[in-house]
Amino acid sequence: MKYELTIAWLYPDLMSTYGDRGNVIVLEKRCMWRGIRTTIIPISLETSIRKLSSCDIIFMGGAQDRQQKLAGEDFIGNKGPVIKTMVERGIPALFVCAAYQFTGQYYRPYEGEDIPGASIFDLVTVHPGDQAKRLIGNVTAQIINLPGCEGTTIVGFENHGGRTRLGPKTKPLTRVVRGFGNNGEDGYEGAVYKHAVGSYFHGPLLPKNPVIADWLLTKALEIKFGKSDMFGTLPEVYESKARNVVMKKK
Amino acid sequence: MTGKDKWAIGLGKAVSKFSTLFGLGAGATWPGEVALSLNSDIFSSFAKQFKFGIILVAGTNGKTTTALMLKTILHYEEFKVVYNGSGANLLNGLVSSCISASDSRGQLTADWGVFEVDENSLPLILRYVTPKIIVFMNLFRDQLDRYGEVDVIAQKWSKAVDSLNSETILVMNADDPLIAYLGKKSPAKVVYFGLTDDAPQDTTMEHATDSIFCLNCGSRLIYDHYYFSHLGDWHCATCGEKRPECTKTPFESPLPGLYNKYNTMAAALTSIQLGIHSSHIKHALEGFAPAFGRQETFTVNGKKIKILLSKNPTGFNASLRTVLDMKPRAILFALNDRIPDGRDVSWIWDVDFETIPDDIPVIVTGDRTYDMALRMQYTKTHQDVGALIAEPNYRRALKTALRKLKSGETLVILPTYSAMLDYRKIISGRKIL
Repeated sequence: MKYELTIAWLYPDLMSTYGDRGNVIVLEKRCMWRGIRTTIIPISLETSIRKLSSCDIIFMGGAQDRQQKLAGEDFIGNKGPVIKTMVERGIPALFVCAAYQFTGQYYRPYEGEDIPGASIFDLVTVHPGDQAKRLIGNVTAQIINLPGCEGTTIVGFENHGGRTRLGPKTKPLTRVVRGFGNNGEDGYEGAVYKHAVGSYFHGPLLPKNPVIADWLLTKALEIKFGKSDMFGTLPEVYESKARNVVMKKK
Repeated sequence: MTGKDKWAIGLGKAVSKFSTLFGLGAGATWPGEVALSLNSDIFSSFAKQFKFGIILVAGTNGKTTTALMLKTILHYEEFKVVYNGSGANLLNGLVSSCISASDSRGQLTADWGVFEVDENSLPLILRYVTPKIIVFMNLFRDQLDRYGEVDVIAQKWSKAVDSLNSETILVMNADDPLIAYLGKKSPAKVVYFGLTDDAPQDTTMEHATDSIFCLNCGSRLIYDHYYFSHLGDWHCATCGEKRPECTKTPFESPLPGLYNKYNTMAAALTSIQLGIHSSHIKHALEGFAPAFGRQETFTVNGKKIKILLSKNPTGFNASLRTVLDMKPRAILFALNDRIPDGRDVSWIWDVDFETIPDDIPVIVTGDRTYDMALRMQYTKTHQDVGALIAEPNYRRALKTALRKLKSGETLVILPTYSAMLDYRKIISGRKIL
């Protein structure tokens, strides 16, 4: 039997600022290297909901303010509710950076009214004002809530003004070893709900942290085919060396 | 010139001597920094001394080459030019180049000041001078951790440009929707340059685009032609915004690569505004030699090394395309994450490394060797890394790369900014000039 997964890439022309494409490349290639076929479906403003709902795994990345506004209107009013249903069904999803903020209850800017989110995760994000420090830098963290991956160290780069706090229905993805994380205060980074993962580790989260990529893909195969034994392990070649360099950064 | 100015310049000169004497290598910014700390207004005093005025060159990519082309053309016309050729393009760099060009009394005897300016510094610099011409090249994503987003810079520029008057001419890239939009709103005189339909075009849009939605109404722009990133012949079907009319500048680019065509057009159109005859522009450009690290060529034991600074996705994609046309024997990527490079290296995932054929050996080095190796690994259809070599040590990486070459063949080095300076030092013994 030929196995195939369809990857939904949300707003590649609007929400892909910080090397977000890296995540899609990793999902695609880690399937290809194991003989599993993939199709990447770019989902943008004009794409139909029907196309989106037939996908097996979802990715959405970061954006600049102007593009974020364009995508945001479409996401909240149109694609977001569909994705929420998909996540409830167990479809794996990865939301990074601006997308992570979109998936909460709301985003509170330092001026103006709250911007509602898609309520996929139980979380809220508050921007503390333009005088507050942006949380920027390399981060090291340890996974605490991804079944089977607990204890694994992951690394990334964060660059966000908003502070995110999780509600009781959503668990944090990691405990921060070094860096700021969700809000720079409670020591947690990211969010997990069912098979959906959110994180501030912007852009290419998956290349250096293939454990998360493989977890998402395994879940996608299990949901679609009821099994994931065709998904063998792949050796790490450069990943651990690349992580080590980040962990030693000042 | 006031006594305070003279003091500031004198001290700047002393710092410059001291820095050269002890090989501190900070001569491009330090004298200016010291002079500015004594007199924050020192640049206006200098600006008044240029006989004909100041030309500023701003943009993400192409500043250094365009400014050097302008200097070359002005030199051809026997003008005396002060120019920040070291690439120090913050206010302190501009002031430093004025200090080093001034006489012992702090006087400049130059005709023109030609300065490339940092994206973020342009508004600040415009507080001190009213330039004769400002050249706007383009705006692409670059070092987002340091500069912030493209739109944020565009807003700052917009404010700065709105405060200009008709004393200043803006020379602008019509193919970049963000730049063209600035021009349309400005009270200054604006002339546009842009590529014509016969320039080589992309069939599909590359991934690293920043501005493909209408600035006026937010709709997706339609491109009749596009050249690279978000540069092209664009219009908006919803509100009717479109690429402005361009002035034709039929000059050969002295360097390969589509991006150098833009640099040539910008320099030529600026020169035309100054009344320089087109045959002079043509001759001057024929004698053009590239700026440091921008397609500079070195020969080592009969083997050629070309260095092409590649510091952001758009620049990298443009360099890659040019490099592959050169049919190099090997490619060396040097990726650093120091302050001038940007601490975040996520952007390498927006570069289309997939275009490199499998038979060209690739060597990767720099502070972030393994990030780069990982990126290269993910261009492959099998997890096998093949001929890829990851070597964090600069010298060993260079040696390994050169070993792939026979005499007369070319190695191309694509480094980020600090890696470019380091490799120039290794190969030529000098970091900048």
